[in-house]
Amino acid sequence: MNVQHQSVGRRGFLRGALAAAVLVPLGGSLASCAGSGSSSNAGPTGAVSDTNPFGMADKATVDAVIFKGGYGIDYVDFAGKVLEKNHSGSTAKISPSTDIAQELQPRFVGGNPPDLIDNSGAKAIGFSTILAQLEDLTSVVEAKNLEGKVIKDTLYTGVLAPGTFDGKLAALNYVLTVYAMWYSDSLLKANGWSVPKTWDEMYALGEQAKAKGKYLFVWGKEAATYYQEMAIASAIKEGGDDVRLGLENLKADCWSHPAIQSVFTALEKIVKAGYFKPGGSGTQFTAAQAQWTNTQEAVFYPSGSWIENEMKDQTKAGFNMTGAPVPSVTASPKKPYTSLHSAAGEPYVVPSQGKNVAGGKELLRVMLSKDAATNFAKTKLAPTIVKDTVPADGFGSTALVSQTKLLSDAGENIYTWNFIDLYGTNKDQLVVWNTFLDGKSDVATLTSDLQKISDKVRNDSSVKKIEVK
Amino acid sequence: MKRRRKPLTWDKISFFAVFLGLPLAIYLLFVIWPFVQAFGYSLTDWSGFSPTQNFIGLQNYTKIFTDDIFMKAMGNNVLLVICLPIITIILSLILASLVTVGGSSKGQIKGLRNSSFYRVVSFFPYTIPAIAIGIMWGQIYDPSGGLLNGLLRGAGLNQFKDFAWLGDKNTAMVATMFVIVWGFVGFYMVLFVAGIKGIPAELFEAARIDGAGRFRTAVSITIPLIRDNIQTAYIYMGILALDAFVYMAALNSGGGPDNSTLVMSQQLFFTAFSKGQFGLASAMGVVLALATLIFSGLVFVVNRLTGGDKDVSL
Repeated sequence: MNVQHQSVGRRGFLRGALAAAVLVPLGGSLASCAGSGSSSNAGPTGAVSDTNPFGMADKATVDAVIFKGGYGIDYVDFAGKVLEKNHSGSTAKISPSTDIAQELQPRFVGGNPPDLIDNSGAKAIGFSTILAQLEDLTSVVEAKNLEGKVIKDTLYTGVLAPGTFDGKLAALNYVLTVYAMWYSDSLLKANGWSVPKTWDEMYALGEQAKAKGKYLFVWGKEAATYYQEMAIASAIKEGGDDVRLGLENLKADCWSHPAIQSVFTALEKIVKAGYFKPGGSGTQFTAAQAQWTNTQEAVFYPSGSWIENEMKDQTKAGFNMTGAPVPSVTASPKKPYTSLHSAAGEPYVVPSQGKNVAGGKELLRVMLSKDAATNFAKTKLAPTIVKDTVPADGFGSTALVSQTKLLSDAGENIYTWNFIDLYGTNKDQLVVWNTFLDGKSDVATLTSDLQKISDKVRNDSSVKKIEVK
Repeated sequence: MKRRRKPLTWDKISFFAVFLGLPLAIYLLFVIWPFVQAFGYSLTDWSGFSPTQNFIGLQNYTKIFTDDIFMKAMGNNVLLVICLPIITIILSLILASLVTVGGSSKGQIKGLRNSSFYRVVSFFPYTIPAIAIGIMWGQIYDPSGGLLNGLLRGAGLNQFKDFAWLGDKNTAMVATMFVIVWGFVGFYMVLFVAGIKGIPAELFEAARIDGAGRFRTAVSITIPLIRDNIQTAYIYMGILALDAFVYMAALNSGGGPDNSTLVMSQQLFFTAFSKGQFGLASAMGVVLALATLIFSGLVFVVNRLTGGDKDVSL
C-alpha cells in the first residue's frame, strides 16, 4: 500500500534530519554568509525639469507592486496610463499582490525591490523592518502636481503623520480613512433615536434598543479590536494627546490613564448589561457585520470608512450608512466632540534599492494629481488624501458624504496612532478584547493584559522603538 | 577468502547515478540544505528583509522558552499530540473492526451488513481539502446562524442560543479537535481495513471457536497483527498534530480565545510575517522540527518497550 512506502521515506527523512542536526555548526556558518552582496543603484537618470521633477530617465520602466485588496489596482493602472502618456516611450508595469511580505521578501533581500509598493493588507511588511531601505518622500510632496500646484498644499491636514517615522517621510498613505461609529440613518429615524454623544447616553439608548429587540453593538472574532480603536479614540478625545503619547511610546501604566479607564468602565457597563450581541468571539467578522447591515440586529458598529465598500453586497436597501464621532466620557472633553480619528491608509513606499527610484516617485506624483485622485474617489467611493475631490452628492454615497462632513467638522482636530501596526500587536490584543467583549473579564484584567502586551514590546531590546512626540 | 569486487560497468554507474545520486542530490538540496539554513538564521537577528544580519548566538532560543505565548502554543501542540492520535486511532480501529469482522457471529467471518457502503461514506471527509473542512465547520459552529446551534435549539436546548463553540476557551480546543478527527477517521479506517484484510480468516475463526467475543478478538488478534499499521498511523497523526496549521488558521485564525487553540506553526507564521522577526521564527521552526523528531523517537521506543519488535507478522 502506498502508505507503507511513504513510511520508509519518512524514516529516511528522520535519519537525514538527525544527520543535519550533527552538521549544524558547519551549516550555521555557511548560512550566515548566504544572502549577502547588496549593491546600491539609483538607476540611470534623465534631465530634471518641471514636468520631470525627479529626473526619470527616458524610455524607462516603472515597476510597481500594488496590494490588491478592497480597492483593487485599477486606480494605479489609471495613473500608469497617464504616466506613459506624459513620458512617451516609458512603460508602467503594475502588478497586483495579495501577499506583499512573502512575495517581496526575496526581492528586498536580493537587492532588486520594485520601484513603488503599496505596502498594505494583512500581510504587509512591518515598517520597522524595512525603514532603512526606503526613500524619504519629502521630495514628492514638495514637487508640483500635474496641475502645477505644490502637492503639500493640496493635502488634508495630518495625512503625512502616519507615514513619518523618526522624522523621515518613509511612506505616503494614499487613501484617507475616517474612523467613526457607523449606523443606519433610516433605522435611527424610524425609531426616533438620536446619536448618543456620551457613553451615558449610549447606555440609555441600549435599554431602548433592547426593548425593540436590538443590541447596541455586534462584533466578530477577527475584528474585536475595532472596539479597542473606538475606546482609544474616545479616550484621546477625553484626555487629550497625553493619552495618545503614553500609548505610542509604550509607557509603563499607559493603559491605566484615567481617561482610558473611564472609557473601559463605560464599555464594561454596556457589556455586562448585555447590549453586545453574544457569541461574537465565535463569529466570523463579515458574518457579524452582516448582522448589523443586513438583519439589523445591532444599531452601531465602530469601523474605518472601508466598511461601506466591504459590506456593499450585504447591506439592506435604504440603509443610509452614516458615520458619527465616537462618544466621549463627559459632555466637555479635552478635545471637542467633533474631533476625529482619521488616518491615511494604503502606504506607498519607494525602496532606495529600486532600479528606477525616480520613476517610482513620478508615478506617485501622477497619483496625487487631481485627475487620478478624483478618479479614485469616484470609483472607490473613498476620499484620497487630496482635498476637494468629492462633490456635494458624494457620487450618490451617504457614507462618503458623511465622511466629508466629519472631516470638515473636525477641522484641525484630527489624530491617529501607529503603535499597533508598527509593533504588530493587534493579534495579541484581539485575544484580550474577545474575552472582554464576551463578558468573561473585567476592566482590571483588560488593562493588565493590554499593559503586558505593551510592556513586552518595550522590554524587547531587539525591537526598534520609534519615539512619538 | 576474499570476495572480489566486480568491475564497475557503465550499466552499473548509470544505475547508481539515476537511482541513488540524483535522489540524494535533490534530497540534499531541497530538504537538508533549507534545514541547515534555517538553523543558521535562527542564530541571527534577521528581520527577513535586510541583506545582512547579526549573529546573536542562542538568544532567540532563550527568548522562545521564556515567551509565555510560545510556551502556551507548545502546550497546545502537546495536548494535540496526546489526544488526536489516540482518539482517531481508537475510533478508526472500532470502525474498521465493525466493517471487517464485526458482523454476524454465525457462519463466515464478515463485517456488518452494508459495510462497503459505510466504508465509502466514512472516507468522504478525507477527500475534502483541509481548508474547505475548516471553513465549512467554521460556518457550522457559527453562534447565531450555525447548523450545530440550530440543531441543539431544535432539540429544545435553548441554553445554546448564541453559544460560541469556537469563542469559548473551554470548548474551542475540543471543537477544533473534533473537526480534525472527523476529517481523518475515514482515512485511517481504510488503512486498518487493509491491514485486517491481510489477516487470514482462519485466525478469527479459531478465536471464535475458542470462545473469544468481538472485543477479545479485537484486542488479542487484530491489534497485535496490525501493530505496524497502528504505529505508522500514530506517527502520521502525531506529526499532523504538531503542525495542525491549516485547521487552526481556518477555524480561529487569531489563536482562539485566550490563545487556547494557538499552535507553534501559527506563532511561527505571525513572528515571521507580521512581526518581521525571521531569526526568531527560524528558531521556532528548529524547535518544531526537534519536537517532531523527539515525538517519532518516543513512539518507536514505546513500541519497542511494549514488545512491538517481537515478530508476530504472518
